[in-house]
Amino acid sequence: MPAVEQTVERVKEIDVDKYKYGFSTDIESVRAPKGLSEDIVRFISAKKGEPEWLLDWRLEAYRRWRTMQEPTWAKVHYPKIDFEDLYYYAAPKSTEGPKSLDEVDPELLRTYEKLGIPLKEQEVLAGVQGAPKVAVDAVFDSVSVVTTFKEELAKAGVIFCSISEAVKTHPELVKKYLGSVVPITDNFYATLNSAVFSDGSFVYVPEGVRCPMELSTYFRINAENTGQFERTLIIADKGAYVSYLEGCTAPMRDENQLHAAVVELVALEDAEIKYSTVQNWYPGDAEGKGGVYNFVTKRGDCRGDRSKISWTQVETGSAITWKYPSCILRGHGSRGEFYSIAISNGYQQVDSGTKMIHLGRDTSSRIISKGIAAGFSDNTYRGLVSAHRKATNARNFTCCDSLLIGDRCGAHTVPYIEAKNSSATFEHEATTSKISDDQLFYCLSRGLSEEEAVALIVNGFVRDVLQQLPMEFMAETQKLIGISLEGSVG
Amino acid sequence: MDLSVQQFRSEAEQALLDLYERSVDALPGDASVADLRQSAIRTYAGLGLPHRRIEAWKYTDLRAAIAEIPPLLAESDAPVDGTAFEAAFGKAFAQLPAYRVVLVAGAVRTELSDVQGLRDAGVEFGALAQMLESPPEWLMASLDAASASGDDVLIALNTALMTGGVALRLPEGLTLQKPVHLIHLDGADTPGSVYTRNVLVAGEGASATVLESFGTLGRAGVQRNAVTTVSLAAKSAIHHIKLQREALETIHLNAWVANVGADARYDAFQVSMGAALARNQVSVRFAGKDAATDISGATLARGKQHCDTTLVVEHDVPACESRELFKLVLDDESRGVFQGKIVVARDAQKTDGKQMSQALLLSETAEFDSKPELEIYADDVVCGHGATSGQIDEDLLFYLRARGLPEAQARALLIQAFVGEAFEALDDEAIGDAFAAVSAEWLGSPAE
Repeated sequence: MPAVEQTVERVKEIDVDKYKYGFSTDIESVRAPKGLSEDIVRFISAKKGEPEWLLDWRLEAYRRWRTMQEPTWAKVHYPKIDFEDLYYYAAPKSTEGPKSLDEVDPELLRTYEKLGIPLKEQEVLAGVQGAPKVAVDAVFDSVSVVTTFKEELAKAGVIFCSISEAVKTHPELVKKYLGSVVPITDNFYATLNSAVFSDGSFVYVPEGVRCPMELSTYFRINAENTGQFERTLIIADKGAYVSYLEGCTAPMRDENQLHAAVVELVALEDAEIKYSTVQNWYPGDAEGKGGVYNFVTKRGDCRGDRSKISWTQVETGSAITWKYPSCILRGHGSRGEFYSIAISNGYQQVDSGTKMIHLGRDTSSRIISKGIAAGFSDNTYRGLVSAHRKATNARNFTCCDSLLIGDRCGAHTVPYIEAKNSSATFEHEATTSKISDDQLFYCLSRGLSEEEAVALIVNGFVRDVLQQLPMEFMAETQKLIGISLEGSVG
Repeated sequence: MDLSVQQFRSEAEQALLDLYERSVDALPGDASVADLRQSAIRTYAGLGLPHRRIEAWKYTDLRAAIAEIPPLLAESDAPVDGTAFEAAFGKAFAQLPAYRVVLVAGAVRTELSDVQGLRDAGVEFGALAQMLESPPEWLMASLDAASASGDDVLIALNTALMTGGVALRLPEGLTLQKPVHLIHLDGADTPGSVYTRNVLVAGEGASATVLESFGTLGRAGVQRNAVTTVSLAAKSAIHHIKLQREALETIHLNAWVANVGADARYDAFQVSMGAALARNQVSVRFAGKDAATDISGATLARGKQHCDTTLVVEHDVPACESRELFKLVLDDESRGVFQGKIVVARDAQKTDGKQMSQALLLSETAEFDSKPELEIYADDVVCGHGATSGQIDEDLLFYLRARGLPEAQARALLIQAFVGEAFEALDDEAIGDAFAAVSAEWLGSPAE
């Protein structure tokens, strides 16, 4: 079939230059020696000037991790990771933490400029009038570089800083909530993260406060052979609201980079957290060489009654994605949402989904997952919806649709549904199909090129999820979808 | 973690190996069959009984559920008559017009069976135990194919220990007018194990309805392992139907494995209402284009019953169609499990696969676990699945009560309507009525 061959050729053509964030930055960095041992854990802890309790916590996690085995149940295949051949700590070299942006390495600032991330507050302000403000925490390799709009946030009482700063300034909050959603014993990668996490963002929104602007963290892996282990902790106190967005990119390297993050969300009574991710780690080249291993544990705890946690994710990058943002619906009347677009092309492998664990009364959850597989990729939705004995009137609606582009890719759906309560009402539906010839023909007859037509149809396919993204990222994401699928049709 | 090598053995797991050692010399079969048994028991020895860490058995932990391994049930000449059928399956089922074949401990009770009728109709029929002594090529091919499935412990144990069953071949072009009814009735005064294997082979263009029913004689619990392999040549059709109404102490393990040729049709229908623990596996593999399958059925469970239905449909070739519909009614502390997997291979374009599982939970403490899976490697496909779980719709109940129906009757009516949707797959009226009657009896409302 010539059409298929053509597709294969075109997929091959998507070379590295399609990944526009693939540059690397020459910045002197400080690294811990390669490999992992108790000494490295102590080194990281000391480097960050951490209190005793946190070091003990890390060491406990490290010892636990030594006894654990890598999980193999996900539908992803990769050569065994040599955990002794990684740098567990890398930081842009600077003597003290930068006092202001002027002290930050200009090379670093240029990196963020290239990425289109505004770190200078005035630039943001000078932007289009009335454009919403976004506070940014930029994490470069292992450390947080800069956090913008701190003062304005502080006025509202919102704490937004790097987690290592929070350990120093708000130890009581960190101690209380760190590991309370994802315990150190949770899983192989989360435990590893607990032992060696380097930095990440910390957000605390006090009682009754609606965070005045979008918060955002921008992650960048730069150094070679480095694992990035960031830890994000977001707490919305009673009646608070916060919307948080994270973005991720990495340079192109031949070897695989490991990213094992942990994100913990805590929503107390009547609080709401909206967490959006645009993940665009380097996916590897056309032969499937290189790329980021994205092994992430994200979990939200709707601890208070009537609280709400909403996950929105756009997954276009990474060689391998292993990620299940989950909600524990503990509070009565709490609500969890999961909206996901996962696009895989080339030799990418995605195994992603969510868990909705209904524990409280009258809890509800909604899962909308759209998977798009092209090229030689595999795209798996794996999800769990469970209702505990006491979760009366739990309600779930799940819809996961997959779209296949090309006949060398795979789309899989593995949902687990566990109802231990008769009053729980669960509905699940899933479909898999390809872009219909009729739709394509219609677009072509209207003068669109085939690639434009596919991008249009795919954007229509994922519309339900796109609408959940913060306004300013919607347009960008639409473009990203176009880029990710480039070359997938002949 | 490498789960293929077992770390330790539970008592029951060891007892199964001992059972094999004790029985192996008396098990039927020639040298080639003995080889199959030997390699199957090795497979089992490596894997042990499946437990919840084994993905396909996530919700049914056999290692935890089986504490003891009773000895193999011996052939018995215990009187089996009409009343035994009625007691085991209900009146409507016992009277169903069919070529009846009665199996006790895997042995064909010729005096109760219409073997002659089957042979007169042109069917090649034999008791498995006798045929294994010098198995014809077609039988050996079926046995080999079942063993090739590899890591299925249920089938491996069956291969190792099968003592009886039937082998049945429909020659090319034969259409059986009456269904074949394979009646498995077992039980004695002491607990026993029964391992049976049925082999169905349909020649090109042949068609038949094969009904299998499982019931209990006597009181003590039976551990049953029953496997049926079905091989369908091009343009053939088999409607394979099962009623499982075993006593509540029973452990019922059952696997149907079908290989479907081009333009052929394999329909399976199962109703499970008995046994303490039941595992029903149906796996269908399409080997030729334009074939189709419909797998449907119902689970009715109460008390502490555990019923697991696991379906796998493998679309290995293009242009095949599969439909699955299962309904579960779960009362008291019962637990219903539905796992359904549709696999579409790389070049199986134009595949059309649909799957639906629905559970109705009648009590606070019932549990439903479902895992509907799609694994798709071809792009020009239409595949979908759905799963729902809930209780009786209060609005519907209110409507019926407003029409003057007492609550209990209104409930029964709604449950019957819920289950009834799955029964629509039965096109044979007499069989449909028989199933309606047994399900109505389960619900406690008198059959009409």
